[in-house]
Amino acid sequence: MQTRPLGETGHDSTVATFGAIALNWLEQEGANQMVELVLDHGINHFDVAPEYGDAELKLGPKLRQHREEIFLGCKTQKRDYEGAARKLDRSLNRLGTDHIELYQIHGLEYEHELDEITGEDGALEAIRDARSEGKVDHLGLTSHGDPQLILEAIERIDDLDSLMFPMNPVVAGKDGDEYDYEAVLERAEAEGIGTLGIKAFAGGTWPPTDELPEEDRPYANWYRPVDDPETIRERFDFAAAQGLTSVLTPGDPKLVAMVLDAARRYDGMDEAAQRSLIERARHDDSPVPEQLHH
Amino acid sequence: MDVPSTVATALEDRPVERATCLEAGAGVGNATAGLLAAGAERVYAVTNDAEHARTVRERVACDEPNRSVALEADLRELPLADDAVDVVTAHGLFNVVPPASLDAVATEVTRVAAPGCHLVVDDYEPLPADAGVRSLFALENAASQLADGRPALTFYPAATLRRLFEGYGWTFERERTLLNPVPWTPSHVDAHAEEVRSRAEKLPERQRERFVREAERLVDEIGEERIGQMYSVAMRLPD
Repeated sequence: MQTRPLGETGHDSTVATFGAIALNWLEQEGANQMVELVLDHGINHFDVAPEYGDAELKLGPKLRQHREEIFLGCKTQKRDYEGAARKLDRSLNRLGTDHIELYQIHGLEYEHELDEITGEDGALEAIRDARSEGKVDHLGLTSHGDPQLILEAIERIDDLDSLMFPMNPVVAGKDGDEYDYEAVLERAEAEGIGTLGIKAFAGGTWPPTDELPEEDRPYANWYRPVDDPETIRERFDFAAAQGLTSVLTPGDPKLVAMVLDAARRYDGMDEAAQRSLIERARHDDSPVPEQLHH
Repeated sequence: MDVPSTVATALEDRPVERATCLEAGAGVGNATAGLLAAGAERVYAVTNDAEHARTVRERVACDEPNRSVALEADLRELPLADDAVDVVTAHGLFNVVPPASLDAVATEVTRVAAPGCHLVVDDYEPLPADAGVRSLFALENAASQLADGRPALTFYPAATLRRLFEGYGWTFERERTLLNPVPWTPSHVDAHAEEVRSRAEKLPERQRERFVREAERLVDEIGEERIGQMYSVAMRLPD
């Protein structure tokens, strides 16, 4: 599988990263098989978080068995020093490892959170201290929030090694600043920051719960995913062709094998085909019913 | 409104900033939105369809009342002075221009173009023989021929429109592929079926019913389809 440099970390990540949240929905034996399947496809970058139910615990056995083959990303939703330090130790304990290659601030959404993590007693200081103790190698940030806030984070965090943010044809077709993840990608590339794409397989929102109760949804994702091999391959190719370091596999285990297959076969996507996907998505929710042209 | 990626791509290498522009065949104003976003000083959005002119005003022109105006006019008789514009876009225009009107439109576009003017023609290559949407477009053309005596849609190859404008003194600058494949989404398919229905309105009842039934059948059969190519040809008038 193709690899790309993860910014200036010195690590070359495979063009797909395994989103280990998928393990949460499997029993241990199934989780073990899933990790073996992922490794069989050559994936070398895994991503997990303490918020993903039992995913850390279920990843543990195979992580320990294949520790040298896996560049592990983990995250914290804590914004303060003590909280982040405790969460990191807890994750190390649950994963059964003594270090994590990439530790990320999870789900940055608000300006005040950026103030807190960059402050004196903020989470970033905890990650930096853990880095000097050898518990963590690199520092990252994840967000599916406002791209302008992510751009500000790049400004304010000098030692940022990676960023994780959404990338798919739906957001790429929207012009507003609130959708401008392309600007984040461009800026990250200029700054030598690795880029990890999420929501590449998002198809839309679920119907309201009075129409489709949460327990009747066919997938575990909080969004409605695309779910046929051809569309999954197009979505993977689109995200990878934007220039991201790596694209995260979706959270539902039923979709992972299709994405692994797409990743293994990835050989680029030309720009006219990328625009074709953007325009297809744009017209799906076109406000102008009489639209005849593209 | 969001500028379609096709429009943004077609305009990205054209000197739109501070230019006076004409969107010939404004449709719903996609190119007007792109020209304004690219820094045009003024955009004339011209369409012969009153509803389209209203749509352009509502969607685009109302945000930029000092920089854009939607005009309802025939492209064969543009309400603009000679040498009035620096950039002309024909984004998805020519497929709705029947062959008999090509020369009149090219003549008028050339008349209002200032020396050095840039022209961007974006359109669809003829569809492959196995395209399902061809049947729907054929039905649309048949209804249009019977109702109005002219085709609704003609897909001109890029080379044909390039040679047409070369005949009017324009020089070729570049061609690029905007879409490959072209996504004919359910909303496009429905919109074309609606065109069949509206033209069939003018036909005798028995004929009308057959058109409507066939359009409905094709909508169900096609659903959506991705096929064909959309191109962008850029040309320039000598200084």
